[in-house]
Amino acid sequence: MTELLQNLIDGLGRGSIYALLALGIAVIFGVMHLLNFAHGELITISGYAAYAMFQADFSWYVVAPAIVLVSIAASLVIEWVAFSRVRGASDFTLLLTSFGIHFLVSSVFILYVSASKKQFPRPGWVTNTFAVGDLSIEVFDAVVIGVTLVTLLATVALLQRTMFGLALRGAAEDFDTARLMGVKSNSVIRGAFALSGFLAGIAGIFWLMRAGNTAPSAGISPMLSGVIAALIGGMGSMRGAVLGGFVLGLAEVMLRSRLPDGIAPLTDGVVFLMIALLFIFRPQGLITVARAERV
Amino acid sequence: MFPNFRRDVSFPIVGAVILFAVLVAAGLTYQAIIGGSAERLVTAMLIDAIIVVGIQIYIGNTGILSFGHVGIGAIAGYAFAVFAIVPERKARVLPDAPFGLTDISFSPTVAVIIAIALALAVAVIAGLGLARSGAESGAVSATVITLALLFVTHEVATNWNKLTGGERAGLSFSIGTTLQGRVAIYVTLLLAIVVARLYAQSRSGRLAVAAREDNLAARAMGINPLVQQMAALLISAVIVAIGASLRVYELGTIVPNLFFFDYTMLTLVMLIVGGRNSVSGAVLGVVVITLGRELSRRLGTQGFEFFGIGLDEAPLDWVFREGLPRVFLGLAMVGFMIKRPIGLINDWELDEWLYNKFGRGSDPLPKALPEVGEMTPVKLRASDIDVKFGGFQALDGAGIEAESGQIVGVIGPNGAGKTTFVNVITGMVPPTSGTFSIDGKDVTAVPTFKLARAGLVRTFQNLRLFGGLTVRENVEVSALVAAEHRQGRVLPDVDAMVAEAGLWEHRDRRASELDYGNSRRLELARAAALAPSFLLLDEPTSGMSDTESVTMIEQVRHMAATVGAGVIVIDHDLAFITGISDTITVLDQGAVVMSGTPDEVQADPRVQAAYLGSAAIT
Repeated sequence: MTELLQNLIDGLGRGSIYALLALGIAVIFGVMHLLNFAHGELITISGYAAYAMFQADFSWYVVAPAIVLVSIAASLVIEWVAFSRVRGASDFTLLLTSFGIHFLVSSVFILYVSASKKQFPRPGWVTNTFAVGDLSIEVFDAVVIGVTLVTLLATVALLQRTMFGLALRGAAEDFDTARLMGVKSNSVIRGAFALSGFLAGIAGIFWLMRAGNTAPSAGISPMLSGVIAALIGGMGSMRGAVLGGFVLGLAEVMLRSRLPDGIAPLTDGVVFLMIALLFIFRPQGLITVARAERV
Repeated sequence: MFPNFRRDVSFPIVGAVILFAVLVAAGLTYQAIIGGSAERLVTAMLIDAIIVVGIQIYIGNTGILSFGHVGIGAIAGYAFAVFAIVPERKARVLPDAPFGLTDISFSPTVAVIIAIALALAVAVIAGLGLARSGAESGAVSATVITLALLFVTHEVATNWNKLTGGERAGLSFSIGTTLQGRVAIYVTLLLAIVVARLYAQSRSGRLAVAAREDNLAARAMGINPLVQQMAALLISAVIVAIGASLRVYELGTIVPNLFFFDYTMLTLVMLIVGGRNSVSGAVLGVVVITLGRELSRRLGTQGFEFFGIGLDEAPLDWVFREGLPRVFLGLAMVGFMIKRPIGLINDWELDEWLYNKFGRGSDPLPKALPEVGEMTPVKLRASDIDVKFGGFQALDGAGIEAESGQIVGVIGPNGAGKTTFVNVITGMVPPTSGTFSIDGKDVTAVPTFKLARAGLVRTFQNLRLFGGLTVRENVEVSALVAAEHRQGRVLPDVDAMVAEAGLWEHRDRRASELDYGNSRRLELARAAALAPSFLLLDEPTSGMSDTESVTMIEQVRHMAATVGAGVIVIDHDLAFITGISDTITVLDQGAVVMSGTPDEVQADPRVQAAYLGSAAIT
């Protein structure tokens, strides 16, 4: 029982970051049917920005908000440079565009910085733990879960209470109809990328705090986790994406602590295999977004 | 298997030999100019070409973006290395290999065969998964499944140290035991190009391409896309497996990253820059990208020196740095996706061009198709069809009877359940209850493609042609299905059917370029070429003027008669339907109001009530 509770808390901590990433991916998928393989690059870019700031002796208190701003800016720039030019293109084109950007961003860092990792300090409290009964809780997990909850609530408020949120949800439901109803496609798409960048920025803070380094290929891992989580939840469903993030976090923690020793290093592989199986038997993900086949 | 031997076998083989020769000549010329240092580059290019052509067979013909082929390559590459490295060497690099593999070794040829077998096994499993997920052109879920294959393969390769040597050491051959000379590469490359072209021209390839262009329309024409996708996947897996084995054999080593994101990126860029829908495009892309990478590498390491200009303070130093080839690949991918996603030559094929120029001969206007006389009539019967969506009863005991040789109209006001009824009898919505049979054979709730094979073929209200195929190819796809599944019926000639639809002068144009009227006629010809027992037309004259409608219906009647098919027309226009039908079924609120001759229907007060409101008859 204790072990299960422990897993639950660890899983929520891990899943929080995934949920933020997945939500960012789902928001974009909703407005332009793009599965964004470049989403992880927002963390790569923020990571190098953080590295540069640490070189200039800034502290985490300055760096953390800067990460969010850089992430939002990067998301908007990528949209402006590339995605705005493939709007309405086939899924094939959209997928490869985002894959190409993923590759391009990492290449630019290899070209101008270095192919090797760049280290920066982690805040001291990242590895601290405190005890509640038999449970040992990482301070980091507690902070992550708390901040994620606040971020998600703020996002919900944004989506439910503002005109932008209404436009975004309408566009995610049916982009063409939303446009006919007077939703400006430019601003709603840019808004979606800004929101996606914001969410990736919050996730990025924690991702980078835990890693303590960045590298040209640093975006792959968060991208895969975010994509998987979004897929678990059912592409295009924002609620599903958040749920998927937590499910993925829990699944990873459970598997890691329970798989036999020989297979434990393969946790990521096993998770991905399970996703493939989920997709094979339930291609629409956990939460179904109904889309009728038009004849 | 091949509709036209000259066009589909002879010319493609000649074309493949030319493509091969040009590719090899380009490599050897470059080698002669640059010298010995270019040798490995050219060898790598030829091996890349094998793998890219292999991938083209799947992506090109199915339209499904696959990241998994490089994963299949990894599996084959490891299998090859594990079985081809000699035991003395393996005792060093893999002392604890599982299953006693440390002591088992074969000749490279046998090792390649094992690699192929393993790749095929993986491809079958992945293919079944893809089929289960309902893979179709551009499907995101299918791409994710292939991504999972790549990622899981990489994870296993990285972590199963006892078998793979792990992430850093990997598996390597002893010095001097790697691939010498290029004969094996040449032979494989030539075969790969030949196979890729032959597959694309084959029955399976043509049906796969039809499904790539429009999955639903393909199913409605009796094609099961999943079978053709599997065929393409297996063939491409074999070629990728051989190519990957050669890559490992030539390099003399394999590590997990040899077949991961970077190589996926490289092969995909090569494929899409040339044109993913064409084998010629794949080969062209390999050459263009290899040259571009090499140029950017030289610029990166030698700056302007390369051109002999030798500026001391090169203003572009900030660009010409090491690592430039990667940026080049990324830019090529993003740039082409933005500016020209179809690639340099889209679906242009060398051998098709040669055939059209030299091989085709005269192309006389085909003779008119005769109307077939009395055939044993086939009966279609749907009865007591109920469909419930949640609590809403869309159909309540609807039904229809039709006989080949007749025109049966189905009519009803908006909301009467016409569309749901069409969806049921075309296999797109399973009925909650009821029976449906064609020629005494029960076809209730069978999938769309089986209904088409059983003899009921539909057209679509909002036109679904295979847009990238020519007019002729659209009709040919149906003829291929008919030849297999409609034996015993009168199978019309493809050219004659094209001419019959008044499209002879447009026969070589892409279907997507046709105007509205011609598109409708092509849809009709494509459906009729399937030699159906019944043609089901869903609002066939929507968007047409009255005169056009009359001509259209005359054409429908004639084309149905050339294959002895009955016609079922669904429409909401009472005057139109009564003008053309032998019998009419009237639907309202999901139920049959009445069936009868046009005169009976027009005279019936219930029909007038449904159409004009009950006030009109009191």
